[in-house]
Amino acid sequence: MADVSKRPLHFLSRIPRPVRVLIGIALSAVLWILIGDRISEFRVTQGSSVAAYALAIISIVMLTGYSGQVSLGHGAFLAVGAYACALFLVNLHWPIWLSFFVSVLAAAGVGAIVGIAAARLSGPYLAGTTLAFAVGVPSISGLVNILGGEQGISWDAVEQYSPPSRYGDPYIFLNKWVYWICGAALILGIALAVNITKSRYGRVWRAVRADESAAALAGINVARSKILAFAVSAGFAGFAGAILSVTLSSVAPSTFGLSLSFFILTGAVIGGVRSIYGAIIGALALVILPTLSDMIASNASESIHTNLPGVITGVLLVLTVLFNPGGTAAAVNHLAHGLRSKGRNSAH
Amino acid sequence: MSTLLSTLITGLSLGAIYSLMAIALILVWRSTRVVNFAQAGQAVFSTYIGLEIHRMTGSYWLAILLSIIVGGVLGGLIDLALVRPLLRRAGSGPEAAVAPVIATLGLLAVLQGVVGMFWGGELIKFPSAFSTAGLSIGGGKIPFSAFDLFTVGASLAVMLAFSFIFQRTGLGLSMRAAAFSPEVAQLAGVRTGRVRTIGWSFAGAAGGLAGVLITPTTFLAPNSLDLLLVFGFTAAVVGGLESMIGGALGGLALGFGLAFVLQYAGSSYTFMTAFVVLLAVLLLRPQGLIGKRGGRRV
Amino acid sequence: MSRITRTPRLIAAVAAVAVVGLALATVPAQATLRNEVGVTDSSVTFGITVPMSGIAAPGYNKVAPAAQGYLDYINENGGVFGRKVTLKIEDDRYAPATAVSKTNKLILKDKVFGLAGSLGTATHLAVLKSINPGKRGIPDLFVSTGYSGFDNPKKYPTTFTYLPSYVMEGKIVGKLLASKFPGKKIAILYQDDDYGRDGLAGFKSAGTTFVSSKGYASGSQSSPGLGAQITAFKAAGADVVVLFGVSSANGIAIATAAKLGFAPQWILGSVGGDATTLKALGIPAALLNGAMGASFLPSTSDDKDPYVAKFKEINEKYNKGKDKTWDNNILVGMNMGMTLVTALRAAGKNLTRAGLVKALEAKGGTFATAGLVPLGYSATSHAGYTGYWFGAYDAAGNLVPDGGKYTIYTTDSGSGAVVTSTYVRPAMPANAIPNN
Repeated sequence: MADVSKRPLHFLSRIPRPVRVLIGIALSAVLWILIGDRISEFRVTQGSSVAAYALAIISIVMLTGYSGQVSLGHGAFLAVGAYACALFLVNLHWPIWLSFFVSVLAAAGVGAIVGIAAARLSGPYLAGTTLAFAVGVPSISGLVNILGGEQGISWDAVEQYSPPSRYGDPYIFLNKWVYWICGAALILGIALAVNITKSRYGRVWRAVRADESAAALAGINVARSKILAFAVSAGFAGFAGAILSVTLSSVAPSTFGLSLSFFILTGAVIGGVRSIYGAIIGALALVILPTLSDMIASNASESIHTNLPGVITGVLLVLTVLFNPGGTAAAVNHLAHGLRSKGRNSAH
Repeated sequence: MSTLLSTLITGLSLGAIYSLMAIALILVWRSTRVVNFAQAGQAVFSTYIGLEIHRMTGSYWLAILLSIIVGGVLGGLIDLALVRPLLRRAGSGPEAAVAPVIATLGLLAVLQGVVGMFWGGELIKFPSAFSTAGLSIGGGKIPFSAFDLFTVGASLAVMLAFSFIFQRTGLGLSMRAAAFSPEVAQLAGVRTGRVRTIGWSFAGAAGGLAGVLITPTTFLAPNSLDLLLVFGFTAAVVGGLESMIGGALGGLALGFGLAFVLQYAGSSYTFMTAFVVLLAVLLLRPQGLIGKRGGRRV
Repeated sequence: MSRITRTPRLIAAVAAVAVVGLALATVPAQATLRNEVGVTDSSVTFGITVPMSGIAAPGYNKVAPAAQGYLDYINENGGVFGRKVTLKIEDDRYAPATAVSKTNKLILKDKVFGLAGSLGTATHLAVLKSINPGKRGIPDLFVSTGYSGFDNPKKYPTTFTYLPSYVMEGKIVGKLLASKFPGKKIAILYQDDDYGRDGLAGFKSAGTTFVSSKGYASGSQSSPGLGAQITAFKAAGADVVVLFGVSSANGIAIATAAKLGFAPQWILGSVGGDATTLKALGIPAALLNGAMGASFLPSTSDDKDPYVAKFKEINEKYNKGKDKTWDNNILVGMNMGMTLVTALRAAGKNLTRAGLVKALEAKGGTFATAGLVPLGYSATSHAGYTGYWFGAYDAAGNLVPDGGKYTIYTTDSGSGAVVTSTYVRPAMPANAIPNN
């Protein structure tokens, strides 16, 4: 036992980084596909949602975990990305991955503008501004005709995503095809996020988060680093929004209400705001919790049935903050660390 | 001319309620340095209690009184059960920055969920003590009812009462001292924990009143006060988060602003207006209309 | 071992894993998914998404429990060919995203036989676009919206609508406005989506001109309210105001007008025209007295109508919903349940999804239901009820026919004329238990 637990993946560090990244991507893709084949079609649709939420939570991790800024309005960046994707995909007939690219750019652009304001604000002022932003942005859809008003824009999923016909009836295969698209997006997103946080920018963000004055003394342009963090985070949120709209084949302001912003933040806290991989745990929790409370309350009255998920999530949030502020990722880390040192001790 | 007048009056009654909510948020912020997002949930809860009292006794005044009391008690309980341990455990890093936000958001979800379990999700009409029909002035009707008059009057009374407590009583002095510098206040013998609990109670009571005042003109539902929270918070931030008067002015400014936008631009512009007003104020005066410039600058 | 020799081998290993993984990856077998699910010899399950909470819930949250109540009544009387019929109710809060995920749950997890009575234009449009029940062969019956775009057998082969379309309503009400209120200034408040736009198209083809036409975004009626719209109608000097919104919006519009001392002749659209719901929202019956509206079912106060009498009785005994106060929403729900049972009987003992759709196309036009206007089901049309009668609300808030007797107007969603119909509905089967 002790021999195995002695740094089991030690040899990996000798492989050049780009190769390691490619291997990671390939293995994750295979894993995603294999999981998709072993679960029911309903779970496949839930898997697509997990991918969208995980990307959204990663955007919170980039902003809060790395740069130390708090945003209550990330749902608005998801909205920007989703509408950009819808417009380019449906109205301009761009290929889907190019539309995703536009979504990221659009959201990052808006994020940079909000970031300029955010860099001057702190604490409750930033929270208030982002909150008003979250409420304000979806209402734009009522002002511009092309955005489709309250009803939004919807499109025929099979026409737009064209699932390859070799897999049989496209309408039956659709859910899995969307799941594959979402998985590819998630894996790409994680690779990018890990890369960015390991880069110079990631280090600068952490320095600013730890102590702004010290970072400034060390020659870091604090405001610029905060704005950049906001733009990058918004870009990820835009990507998440585009993926979310793909799973729904529609965008509507009601999808991007205040509750979405809070929902994402919830997932980030449950997973752990500092961990990119924790985002997957957080997203899983967001999707599983309602199902779980469904099972608990399957025979309860309708009003209990509807409200139980909210209560469970709320209680979980309060308990996390009080007893495990680092989220699941920190707890797992802690546990693994404990086991490892135990293993090392027994080897000695 | 009459359209302008009616817009001003609509703005006044909207502003009075936003001010009340802003004051509740400011009370908590001053005492604890926490933005209490659960305020909307607390207000909904106390308003449903009021509704239940009204159903049982038929007395509007008893309902409104109990809503305020329940709001106050609930506020105090939240401080004791949640805020106190949270402050004791306050760590550092990004988790500490989000912890209060998340804790109060979690509490909001719990409160709204519990309300939904007991009273269901449908919209309910909350009664009002006075007619909501417009008053007649000089032959024409204006969009200002006896109930609106009551709303403005009650809000004003609460603000005056709070100002009196803060400026003229020993309790108020302790509260101001504890907000200004907890350590110094503690050394001077102020029991800061108790003072903070009282601050949360006052805030809960003010939120409870805001709830019973706004619901008769719209509907009551588990999440019907979310937007009141957003607008109240906007007003509080515009006012600078530190002063009662700032919050009241912020609320009125937002009330008038929204009334004009509604009348002359259309309902689709409301939410963007709140955002643009907030952004403009904060970019020109990051400390709010009546805030003191403080903290360290980089 | 050097890096150079190790790396290609590792890549090869990963590639091997990937190839094996992809080979293991299977594609869902179509046969299993196309199979008939949700039906056994003793039961058949349908799913419905409706707003049970939130801004659109008042009134609508009574429809599904009423339908379930009627089905329970049938189940107690032997079911349909021995099968008990159940309706799984899911709350979509009138939000398209929620409607999609709840419908996915109904179809893929709960494995319902079909959908029945799903409510809402924007919500169901999103469901049709992303899930496409028609292309998967899943019956999508009696969609509770009048959006004319859903009646499209080519695009949505299994979707059947239930309410008369909003275009029909606009055309019929527009024609009556012209004859009852000639020369008067007319204004309209509509919900700013396909529901409202559909209605506007109908009024346009009836030639109605409005002095003021204002929309409201769904949800905005409660905050910030409808003050601006009503002020505009008053300023335009409107004599007649058409309210083409959901109940909560129509209620707030009437209350706001009362506050402003503005008392036009109200015309309530069928969607938000249920007086019991409006009264529950705090609108006094006095404000509704004299308002006019349209319906396709008998008046809820018409106790001489055999369907109304029997449904009232079933409602008392079988409805397990939170609020079973008799009103038009209950009547709509009960009648929907009865139409579903009739369709299941028409499909015969060997129930299949395709068979149910075929039976509705072949015999749906002849079903005995409470509707006073004909059902439009055929192989080329999946439109439900095709007309309206016009009436006024009395002091108690009941919609009673204009002139004391039902005058039926029928039309289509296209350019067809509005005609006075002599249609007489089939007699009610004994005890309102279908025997077709």
